[in-house]
Amino acid sequence: MAYRVLIVDDSPAMRTFVRRVIAMSGFEMSNYFEASNGGEALDLLRREWVDAILTDINMPEMDGQEFLRRLAEDEVLRSIPAIVISTDATMHRIAVMTSLGARGYVTKPFLPETLRTELERTWGVPCG
Amino acid sequence: MAEIVFRQALRDSVDEVLEKMFFAETLGEASGPDKVGDTLTVELAFEGEPSGSMCLRLTGDAAREIAADFLGTEGAEISIGQISEVVRELANMICGSVLSRVESAATFHLGVPRIVACCEQCAESPWNTCFRAQLSHGRLTVNIAAGTTKCPQPVQSAY
Repeated sequence: MAYRVLIVDDSPAMRTFVRRVIAMSGFEMSNYFEASNGGEALDLLRREWVDAILTDINMPEMDGQEFLRRLAEDEVLRSIPAIVISTDATMHRIAVMTSLGARGYVTKPFLPETLRTELERTWGVPCG
Repeated sequence: MAEIVFRQALRDSVDEVLEKMFFAETLGEASGPDKVGDTLTVELAFEGEPSGSMCLRLTGDAAREIAADFLGTEGAEISIGQISEVVRELANMICGSVLSRVESAATFHLGVPRIVACCEQCAESPWNTCFRAQLSHGRLTVNIAAGTTKCPQPVQSAY
């Protein structure tokens, strides 16, 4: 199966890095989509279906917390697994994002293996 | 005591971020003041307990090398805009890592990292915690301070 992933981060460099890590992970990917904040991501999700969302928290216009809240309110989009990738490793933030429906939480800095493991867990399949 | 905690967190964070995200390592602590010439400086404010700001400075060669490692490309192919973007992300990750270490049970908010021009005065003071690391192609300096400390206002930056 080839996967479709949406990367949401206001840093183009970080989006490139995440894409690179996923490409190295061994999963077969058919499409990468990118958005620079939660609002752009919601617009994109109205047009494209994805198998997972990887989102930052600290973003302008609509941050990751509000983005997850909007996803949870949407009967269709709430089924898409979302994994948070953030510099914020505080227990409070992890608890908040998990309560909003995040299926995984990866704190920056992270090893490529960590993200691969989260994707394997999310999709329920080993890569490669 | 707080300075010791911050300093250790700073050192550990720099090492971890460079190793995991940039596939690079520090070659030990650098000594002596920074030369302000060809450097890229990023300032980042944070709110939490405590609030304050962080200033990260990289020599030009080190900035280019780090950007190339992060983006997985050759240094010669990288634009100044890409270098600035990566160094802002580096500052974001180091600051987040430091704060997560010193206030893991609290919450914090990071501001937007911004490129600033830096003068000799900024390189020397008034930061209360400083860590200088020698890299294979240059030097990285991180200053962090509680309170409202900021770099002097930017004049002009090549980045």
